[in-house]
Amino acid sequence: MDMKRDYYEDIQLFKSNVVLFWSAVLLLALFTIPLYAPNYYIYLLNIIMVHVILAVGLNILVGSTGQISLGHAGFFAIGAYGTAFLMSMFQVPFVFAIFIAAFIAAFFGFILGLPALRLEGPYLAIVSLGFGLTIMHIIGGMDVFGGRMGIKVPPLDLGIKQLGISWVLKTDIQKYYLILIMTILLVVGARNILKTRVGRSFVAIRDSDIAAEVIGVNLTIYKTLAFAVSAFYAGIAGGLFGFVLGFFDPFTFNMILSVIFLVMVVVGGLGTIQGGILGAILITYLQYDFLKNIAEVPYLGALMVAISKQWFTTVGLENFSSMAIGLIMIGIIIFEPLGMFGVWIRMKKYWMTWPF
Amino acid sequence: MPVGQLLVEGLAIGACYGLFATAVVIIYKTSEVVNFAQGEMAMFSSFVAFHILSVYQLPFWAAFVITMIFSILLGILIEYFFLRPAKHPSILGLIVITLGAEMFLMGLAGWKWGAEQKFFSLPLDPSLTYEPVKGMIINNWAIAVFAVTTCIMLLLYVFFKYTRLGVAMRATQQNKHAAKIMGIRTERVLSFAWGSSSLIGAIAGMFFASRATLDPAFMMEPFLRAFAAAVLGGLMSIPGVIIGGGLMGLIENFFGYYWPQWKPIIAFIVIILVLCLRPSGLFTKHFVKKV
Amino acid sequence: MKFRNKALFSFIAVLAVLSIASVTQAAPPVGFDDNEIRIGQWGPQTGPAAPWGSVARGSKLLFDIVNEEGGIHGRKIKYFIRDDMYNPAQTAAVVKELVERQGIFAFVGGVGSATGMAVKDYLAANKILWIGPAAADKDFAFPVDPYLFAVYPLYKDEGSILTKYIVDKLKMKKIGILYQNDAYGKDGLEGVKDRLATYKMSLVAEIPVEPTEKDLASQILRLKNSGAEAVLMYLTPTPAVIALKTAATVGFKPQWVSSNTLSDYPLMFKITGGLWEGVITGAFGEIPDSMNPLMVKYREAAKRLTPEERWGIFYSAGIVFADPIVEALKKVGRNLSTEAVMKALNSFKNYQTIGPKITWTEKQHQGTDSVLIQKCGPGASYITLQDWTTNDLATWKK
Repeated sequence: MDMKRDYYEDIQLFKSNVVLFWSAVLLLALFTIPLYAPNYYIYLLNIIMVHVILAVGLNILVGSTGQISLGHAGFFAIGAYGTAFLMSMFQVPFVFAIFIAAFIAAFFGFILGLPALRLEGPYLAIVSLGFGLTIMHIIGGMDVFGGRMGIKVPPLDLGIKQLGISWVLKTDIQKYYLILIMTILLVVGARNILKTRVGRSFVAIRDSDIAAEVIGVNLTIYKTLAFAVSAFYAGIAGGLFGFVLGFFDPFTFNMILSVIFLVMVVVGGLGTIQGGILGAILITYLQYDFLKNIAEVPYLGALMVAISKQWFTTVGLENFSSMAIGLIMIGIIIFEPLGMFGVWIRMKKYWMTWPF
Repeated sequence: MPVGQLLVEGLAIGACYGLFATAVVIIYKTSEVVNFAQGEMAMFSSFVAFHILSVYQLPFWAAFVITMIFSILLGILIEYFFLRPAKHPSILGLIVITLGAEMFLMGLAGWKWGAEQKFFSLPLDPSLTYEPVKGMIINNWAIAVFAVTTCIMLLLYVFFKYTRLGVAMRATQQNKHAAKIMGIRTERVLSFAWGSSSLIGAIAGMFFASRATLDPAFMMEPFLRAFAAAVLGGLMSIPGVIIGGGLMGLIENFFGYYWPQWKPIIAFIVIILVLCLRPSGLFTKHFVKKV
Repeated sequence: MKFRNKALFSFIAVLAVLSIASVTQAAPPVGFDDNEIRIGQWGPQTGPAAPWGSVARGSKLLFDIVNEEGGIHGRKIKYFIRDDMYNPAQTAAVVKELVERQGIFAFVGGVGSATGMAVKDYLAANKILWIGPAAADKDFAFPVDPYLFAVYPLYKDEGSILTKYIVDKLKMKKIGILYQNDAYGKDGLEGVKDRLATYKMSLVAEIPVEPTEKDLASQILRLKNSGAEAVLMYLTPTPAVIALKTAATVGFKPQWVSSNTLSDYPLMFKITGGLWEGVITGAFGEIPDSMNPLMVKYREAAKRLTPEERWGIFYSAGIVFADPIVEALKKVGRNLSTEAVMKALNSFKNYQTIGPKITWTEKQHQGTDSVLIQKCGPGASYITLQDWTTNDLATWKK
């Protein structure tokens, strides 16, 4: 809104005391949620935060660099399998395991970034999609990773076994704090990346890769870097996701998941941090909780059952939520091309200029 | 190794992929959107045919005609109500709209017809097979696929080459604004593209349904493969797409014969390799961007 | 500014530590009170796996019947079905929601291996019973989880029994297998191989299939070329239909044999266009038009209470999975507790309703290893070839 006078002002974490205040309130709220929110929501929040990490990372690639990926479930899988595998087979402490796994994911991101140097649009989409499917298939074919049967993750031990320190997180609430801290760090990290030379190069590539090359952005480095960074985020998210779930098989990381990740970013708002966060929250909520068990809802449920009996089938009534989600997605894009971020901006403007 | 038989089967399923990929390409050519709802549009049309056949007990040709009309309307309506209102949309935004339409259609079909698999059959006697060359058994289904694909190819060729609407479509595809200035109603062209694409998709969908079963999720996998075939063929040239589909069918079947475990992904690996060498697919000239 | 940031963050850090320290997970509400017992089930009602969703709705029929008859010792059963879309992450979400918000006494059924594995430990940790998973994953019953009671005969045992039948009764030497590339198919494959090893035979072709594949031509040709006389199928309905249709068009006519997953003849007969006739399958429940008095009772009730449901194998399997908990609750009486029900369940001996005979002991929670062998006759009729058969090779019984 207001003019920035120098670079340091741009990279400041909190632009004004108002922002500082609200950030503090938000953090406070996030850290105290388990005190008043019912327990079963914590699991959902964990999933949401994992998706937030992934969406913020994917947004760096899709929104800020202008590439497309339908293979992020593959990186997600590498993170999940890598972390669980390193911890159970080689007794690597959690903190190292998750970062090693994320770096492996980043390496694969770099590999996927190479064909991206020459491809764009649907061509890149199909290559990344093929990549995701291949990863799922290869993991499923390897018995070390439990094959198609899936694997169970080891206990989430934050300590270092070799030194005899052990701090096992068992409950969802304990995991919530771990994931929350990781999420905050990674989101702030993503914001900082976008404010640096690297982030500006990404944006330059998105706006026009040839122009970017002309002004001295090394396309090879920055395009692959965007893939690697985004895959790194997906890897961390995957590592955490494994512990949220406790058990997973390759099919958990199917193509549909990749598509949903992309939807999160686009519905949330391309190229902004808030967009990734809002999109992940909205889409995950819609998927997991929205209009479920509609037959049990008072009044509405009876009405829907009656409608189903008249014109549809009662056995398929659960599909109603999928229809509603589809329409919500369409509606958001039609009425707010910027996605949830656009809604956020509108609300903010309305608030700031109120009562005019 | 039964080379002849694998050739027949690979080409038959490949022609099916190619036919469906044509539907994807027609929309891509006019509106630059990969329509992720394509599979579900075809699924929904096939369900309508199923419904007419099983509930109203009409003969097949009547059900077919009604379904074709329905599928055209479905395509036009989806474009009109879901894509057209979007103002200044990004390509990704449009893709998400088609994904939303996909979820909507899948939910609606699940609600209306339930999830259980349904039987859908074309009026072809499955027991009739021909063996022109020893070791190459051709069944009715494959013959129908080949015949229909060839017909549609010829029709599309004539259409794009010689009719006013076809030329208008090509003009719209090359430069939307210029086409508009030249007096082409680009909206109408879009409606037409979606309608015809939905029609071709519905025919392909019925072929898939009669080979497998009919259920709300049955077109997800064929869509992926058709999309891949379209990309392999170059997304712009329709004959290229058919060849791309055929290639996919052949690769999958020949490779899948020896390594069945890798059959589901081999086509994608080949496509990745091809695209590394030819970034715009096999049959499209690589388009170099001007600054 | 700088200082303030630091102060803020240290403040929040302290707060975080405090809140971690102060929050303890409260125990979930108990699953019953004086008027009702709450029972739940997850199952895919939407998405690609939705055809299996009828299992969860079948269990509902049984509980509706029980409630109609006045409940169990004065308590009605309140039954929750949750849609998990066959996605383990969603299964965990719906199970946690049910357990922690509603308070659940026991879960019954639950389709899927991975979905079940995602919640198995959670249920055990919260001391919630889980009876009759609608999947035969061997990790469910081995090692014994005190709260988990499995009904479904293991795919491995079934594969072994079916293979024995093929070799001994059908006198076929060349056997091929078409298996779904996941826990379900691989368990079956293992059982088949174990049995063949005792005959010093091996499979002429073993071919994996992805559940979503829509073209099986090369796989079928491979089977045809191997000269297989009998082909075992560990598949879901759609790939099985494709396999049969493709085989018919390339002139491949082996004896098809399938696991009980495809024992819903009316459905399979219909969606294969009649090709299903002559297929031999395992089965673990009474046939749909059986004259078994219990079956008649359930069938009549289904017609009355849920006329829109098809009376198929999956639907009645929902009853098979839910029967034991009703029986155990009846045995326990008014004085209800999880431990008492567990004790009752552990004393089940050859308990049979419309499924196999179930026996559970403290050390053994795999209820059965018996299956029937049936053949699809003309017009989707059921022909029983072999009565309840146990697997003499089952290692877990020793």
